This record gives sequence, C-alpha cells and structure tokens, in this order.
Amino acid sequence: MAKIGVFICHCGENIASKVDCTKLAAAIGEHPGVAVSVEYKYFCSEPGQESVKKAIRDNNLTGVIIAACSPRMHEATFRKVCAEAGLNPYLCEIANIREQCSWVHTDKDMATEKAMDITRSMIEKVKRNNKLQPIEVPVTRRALVIGGGVAGIQAALDIANAGQEVVLVEREPSLGGHMSQLSETFPTLDCSQCILTPRMVEVAQHPKIRLLTYAEVEHVDGFIGNFKVKIRMKSRYVNRDVCTGCGDCMVKCPVKKISSEFDCGLGKRTAIYTPFAQSVPNIPVIDKASCIYFKNGKCKTCMKSCQINAINFDMQDEFIDLEIGAIVVATGFQIQNTAGYGEYGYGKYPDVITGLQFERLATASGPTSGKILRPSDGKEPETVVFIQCAGSRDPSKGVRYCSKICCMYTAKHAMLYAHKVHHGKSHVFYMDIRAAGKGYDEFTRRTIEEDDASYVRGRVSKVWLENGKLMVRGVDTLLGRPVTIPADMVVLATAMVPQPNAIEFAKTIGIAYDEYGYYNEAHLKLRPVESSSAGIFLAGACQSPKDIPDSIAQASASASKVLALFSKETLEREPVVASTNEATCAGCWGCVLACPYNAIEQKDILDRSGRIIKSVASVNPGLCQGCGTCVTFCRSNSIDLAGFTEKQIFAEMMAL
Amino acid sequence: MITQEKYRSKVKKLLADGSVKMVIGYSPGSTADRRRPLFIRSFEEADQLVLDSNCIANLSGYLVTEGLLSDEKRVAIFLRPEGIRSLNILAAESQLNVDQIIIFGFDSIGREVNSLPGEHADEFSEFIGSIKENPPEKSREPLLYQLEQMNPQERFAFWKEEFSRCIKCYACRQSCPMCYCRRCVVDSNQPQWVNTSSHTLGNFEWNIVRAFHLAGRCVGCGNCDRSCPVNIPLRLINAKMSEEVLGSFNHFAGMSTTQEPVLASFKKEDSETFIL
Repeated sequence: MAKIGVFICHCGENIASKVDCTKLAAAIGEHPGVAVSVEYKYFCSEPGQESVKKAIRDNNLTGVIIAACSPRMHEATFRKVCAEAGLNPYLCEIANIREQCSWVHTDKDMATEKAMDITRSMIEKVKRNNKLQPIEVPVTRRALVIGGGVAGIQAALDIANAGQEVVLVEREPSLGGHMSQLSETFPTLDCSQCILTPRMVEVAQHPKIRLLTYAEVEHVDGFIGNFKVKIRMKSRYVNRDVCTGCGDCMVKCPVKKISSEFDCGLGKRTAIYTPFAQSVPNIPVIDKASCIYFKNGKCKTCMKSCQINAINFDMQDEFIDLEIGAIVVATGFQIQNTAGYGEYGYGKYPDVITGLQFERLATASGPTSGKILRPSDGKEPETVVFIQCAGSRDPSKGVRYCSKICCMYTAKHAMLYAHKVHHGKSHVFYMDIRAAGKGYDEFTRRTIEEDDASYVRGRVSKVWLENGKLMVRGVDTLLGRPVTIPADMVVLATAMVPQPNAIEFAKTIGIAYDEYGYYNEAHLKLRPVESSSAGIFLAGACQSPKDIPDSIAQASASASKVLALFSKETLEREPVVASTNEATCAGCWGCVLACPYNAIEQKDILDRSGRIIKSVASVNPGLCQGCGTCVTFCRSNSIDLAGFTEKQIFAEMMAL
Repeated sequence: MITQEKYRSKVKKLLADGSVKMVIGYSPGSTADRRRPLFIRSFEEADQLVLDSNCIANLSGYLVTEGLLSDEKRVAIFLRPEGIRSLNILAAESQLNVDQIIIFGFDSIGREVNSLPGEHADEFSEFIGSIKENPPEKSREPLLYQLEQMNPQERFAFWKEEFSRCIKCYACRQSCPMCYCRRCVVDSNQPQWVNTSSHTLGNFEWNIVRAFHLAGRCVGCGNCDRSCPVNIPLRLINAKMSEEVLGSFNHFAGMSTTQEPVLASFKKEDSETFIL
C-alpha cells in the first residue's frame, strides 16, 4: 500500500502568488495513496527539510513528492533529505509547479488546476518508482586541456600544480594564443609577452604536464571520468626530440616572403618557421604549402643546414590515444573578417588596419619594433582614427553581441599611440564606452583626459582616400552634426567571433553551442564553467568574448572543478541506466548504433550445447548515461530506463 | 512466357544440385490476375511457378520466417527492385545472412517481364543507386499532391475519415517485410501504449506508430496497401515519409546490405534544425 508524502512549497511568493497552495494541498490529500499533503513557505530551508524528514519517519512514507521548482534546482537536495530519513533517494520525485506552472500563467484558478494535474501525475509515477542504488565508476585522474592560449595555460598549470596529470593540446606550433600577439595589456600596461612567456615555459617544463603542440583532437569517446581521446600529431617535418631550436634552418630557408600569420600580415616569415621568437616549444615547423621542396621536389636547404639531422621530409601524422578523466575546452576565438565592411576600406587601403594589427605595430617584438608606422609607406601617422564596434553590436552586418574587450583595447591603443607619437592626435568613434571592470573606467578616463584622445560619440559611415589622407566621415551625435576627419591611419575594433571550426569541434567532443558557435555553459549563472556534458569544462573566449582577467578566472574555476572530480578514486553515478528485454529484442542493432556512449553490445544467447539461439542487445550499466536514446529508437519496446520506466511514464501521462 | 519457362528449369536445376533448399516465388492465385506465394521444394512445385507482370507482392518478408535460414542452407527468391531493397534492409538490420540468399531479380514494363542481372544482393547496389538518382516517372502518387495542398485540419480530417475504417486486423503488419519484431509494440500491454480497439484514437495511434517505424525503411513495395481489407491508402503515408527522409538526410532505404538505419545513425552534416 502506497503511502506518499506530498510537500507543496510556496517558494515565497514565486508559486503561492499564482497557485492556491492550500487548495492544492487539500485536493492532493484526497488522491489515492497520499498519506501526507502539506504546504510550507520554503521547503528548501532547514526547517522545511527537517519537516520532510520528520514526515517520512513518522508516517513510514513509501514515496515523496516535492511540488516546487525545477528538478534541476533541488532534486539533489531533496533526494539527500530522503536518504537521510532512511528512504531510498530514488523514491523522491519533484513536481515542477514553478517553472512549468506559476511562472508561466496569470490565471490563479487555472494555474491551481494545472498544479494539481502536475502533482497527481508525479504521484502516479512515484508509486511505480523502484529503489535504485548508485553505480560506482573509476575516475582516470588525467586532464586534457584543449587550447594553449592563456586560459588553457592557466587551467593546465592549476591542475598540474595540484599534483594531477595534464595533457595540453595546442594546434598551432607554439603555445601562447592571442595573448602572445598583444603589446601591453590594460589596465596596467604590463607587457603581454613579459607576463605570458614565463608561464609558457613553466608549462613546457612542468613534470606533470605533457605538452602536445601542432596537434589536434581527432575524436572523443566515453564519459565523465573515462574519456577516450584520439590526438592527431600533425607532422612538423622537424623531429621534436632532437631539434635544439638553433634557428639555422630558418636563416637558410630561401622562401622568406610569406605573410606572417602571427604578425597579422604586417611581417614576413620563412617556410620553415616558428611563429615568434619566444615560441614554446622553440621547434620550427615546415609550412608544406609554401615549401619549395614540397612544391617541386627540390631544395632541402634547411635539411643541409641542420647539423643534427632533425629535419625529415617523410614525416607522417601520428595518432596518440589517451585515457582522460576530465576535459577543459579553451579553444579561444578569432577576430571577425572585416572584409564585409567595404565602407571602411579594409583590404583596399593598407593604412586601414584591425586592432590586432595595431597590437603588432605597438609591440616591441613586432615587425616595426614597437614603432607606430603606416603599413603603406612606413611613416609615422600624425592622426589616427579608431572606429569602435566595427562588427560588434551590429545586427545588420556584424554580430549582435558586445565583444567586451574593444572599448578597453581601443583606449589602450590611443594611450600607447600618445606615448609613442607625442605630437600625434587620436580620435575615437564609439557607441558607448563599456569599461566595467577593476580599474577600467579610470583607464579610459586617463586616455581621454591625460592623453588627449578625442572621443566622438557616433558611427562612421565611410572612409575614402583623398590627397593621400584617409577621410573618415561620421556623425557626432552629441553635437548633432556630421564630421569628417582626415587621418593617416584608421584602426577598426573588429568583433570577437568563435573559431571558424567551433561548431564542428563541438560536435566532435559532444558539447552544446549557441547561435554564434560559442560553447554553452550548463547554467549561465549557477554553472558557468561546466559545459552541457558532464566532465567537460569551459575556459576563456570559446564560451563568450572575454578579456585576460576573465579568461584566467574561468580557467582557474574549471581547474578547481577538475580537481574536485579527481579528489575521489571513484565517481558515484546516477543509476538511471537502460536495460533490455532479451525475450523480445529483435536484434536489429539500431540501439547499438544510436547509443552515443557505445554502451550497448551484442550478447549471444546459447543453448545447452553452446549453439547460438539468438543474439540480443545488452546494456553495459558502467557505460550507460541514461540518455534514453535507445529507448525511443527501439521499435519493439524492448529497452527500458530505470527511473523513467515505460510504466512510470505511462502512469504519469494517464494521471493527466 | 519464355522467362517463366527459363526460370522453371533454373529452379529445378538449383534444387537438383542442392544449391538451394527452397525457392520462393509465385503461383496462380484465386483469379486470373492474382498471384499467391509459392514455396518450391520439389520439381512438381516448380512446375506451378508463374512469372508475369501480375507478380507484384514483395516476398522478402518470408525470408525472416523463424527457423527458415537457421540451418545455414540457401534459399532463392523472386524479387522486384523494391524487394531487393527490403532484402538489403533485412540484412543491414541483421535479420538474415545475405550470403544465404540467391536473388532472381525481375521487373516489368507493361505486361513484359525482364530479368535483372545478378544473384547476390551486393551485385544490385549500382542498379539501386540508379533508381535513387532517376526515380521512375509513375512513382509519385497524384493523391500526395492533393494532400500537400491541404491545411493541417483538412489533412487530419482526411486521415480521420480513412482510419475510421481500420479494423485493427494488422494485415499491413503481417504483409510488411519490415515488421519482423518478435513482439510488436502494439502487443505489449505493460503498459498498453497503443489502444487495441478500433476506435479513432487507437487507429491513429497504430497507424502513426507504424509510419514512424517505417521512416527510412519503407521501400514502397505496396504490400500493406494491397493487403488492407478496408482500402486505407497506406502507401501515401509511407511514400511521404520516404520523401522526407530522402530530403532531410539523403537516405534512400535499402541501398546496400550495410546501410545504417537513418534514425539511429548520426552524421556531422545532418541538419539540426529541430534541435534547440
């Protein structure tokens, strides 16, 4: 005989304002099998939880319904309450009368009726719940960090410094990411390379970190605590175990005029190259597309110059299989292609450049050794116009969101320009100045007040060349008049966008992404560093535009999540797993294919003499994640999911 | 009739030399233009073999009769192109070992019957590919165009009217080569998802379930449609589903013996318009 306890929560006014909880409690009290039906202001509070425990003990309840908020909010809380009161936690269910009822309805009578339906339906389900026991699975204590920018570096170092193994995979030849391209960093103006390079070296030398550069994640299988990852080591054509990084090969390489990706096209590199002087590891790669030998089979100058025979033109891609317990995704961002903004003349006029190109001009290690010089003629620009939101907050041609960093880096650019070219004049076109952050607003004020940047609130409509000057036509909305500024250089604050293959990569590793291709967090507010997949965490600008402090903070947060996961030898998993009915399984193996976790295998049923009578599907509960894909696929209804059995779901529906 | 004579002697030869234990074909039916399935194990039975343009039933479903292939002996079967496609699906879904099957492929234009070259299922892959690329003109039902012109309410009314005749005899299931489950979902009663009585709800439930179970698997052989004693145009549902699956996932059912089922396989290029 069922003795169900129903606990109806007011959630303050959240539920009680739209659902008549007293009426609900009375109606539910009449439902067959309900022994207790009570209401309370906050069941999640300590006295609320205690009253549930007391009711379970006093009435020997066989099932508990908490009619309250979403199960995502407090299912775990109340299952724990039940367990503490001696009731199997899987005999507790949540009836969601907040998100699915009170929050979305205005008519109190109808909302109350609906709350009754929702609650009754869960009562009928819980009557059919079974006592389940959690499943324990071992945890591989080795983390994979994908992306060697500042976020990936931070996450890897934090995990490794706590004594756990880390594999850091970077697809470029060197660690560093976008931060290594920057000049000085706001708001303190410390040199980007100076603060980053030591951390890159620390990663390379750390005994707990295995660094795989020029490598890409090919395939991810498995689940939290037990991922199986295949890494492609792209062929460098330089033996990384032997190369000393002397650089002779790069000096000798006859192909010297390749546009440098690292310098955003403002500098040149050779065909065998390291992206920048402080590259970690300091081992060159051969750019197959530009190398003379790969084009016409002759040259090998680099090979001849190498004194230790580290160069091997026959090198092939290699694959490494790794067992991994947790993954931190720190794949970063790209800047938007500005070609769509023809009116700004990017690509047409060499002196219209992006913010990232300006960084390369301003940095001491850049192509101009830190002098602000025009790409066209190498002269110092007397007037520079900065155009903010060249792509961001522009639903028509760019992206709808704010790229967050541009207000700050444009202020920094104007400041650096003032420091380097004392007689120069800068103008900044802006929509709003968004400088929320520690020391940020002070920084932009300094640019305006001390470094004499003239900020114009308005948009630019057009840039054209006239008598050797870039004419910038815009509007000053505060004065309400159009302005035209003759400039020597124009810098576009281009938008931050996801990596071009971000969506494809999300599908490879199995995490969710938003409409732009940024990776989705499990909960925007409460779980900002977890991805939608258990055991995969996010760090840095792959989730949303972020500056360096935010990226580092999120990386450390991800690292702490990984370390929490690694703090135990086994992981307790929900016993919500599928099982098959061997008598009715038709053996079509659709479920085997449909299962995203490879948890279903073929099982032969033998007769006494060992002959196969038939083969049926069989679920490995250690691998099953309880997603239910197989259940929906099975045509003969031969698979059922513990905790969500067909009987339970049918009863739930029939109670409506 | 030359073709028919040729096959009679071929069947006898195969039986005589022990290459096959049975040949599944057609014999005369209750009227002049109807044919019934024939299971040939002897020369006498071989003499009853008929092959003409009236042989339209898809016989492939008989191959999964429990125990028929468990002795690992071979069986030959007469199949139209749709039949070969459903045989491919049965093989892809591990219901039979395709090496045990010898195919007598045939097709007809008007009253004339043509043999299709090949014996093993794999030999027909190219031919089936050509059907996918150039479907025969006649294949699209005029009624489909009419249904597409209707609004959802009109379409619902149309099917409600059609399904109101359904008597739940399950002849469609019995005749369909794809309905090989040991226990059909409608026969599971713990819980009883599909109402067994033949009222509107139960009839809708059954026919919608069947439509989904055939999505990406129906080859359009028409067995269900012809076997329906109350003439529900079942072919329309399945033809529409096939078009949807082809359009959305470029999946043409029964292309090969290794084709993955469309609803269980995942490709990166699949459109995800339905996932939020």
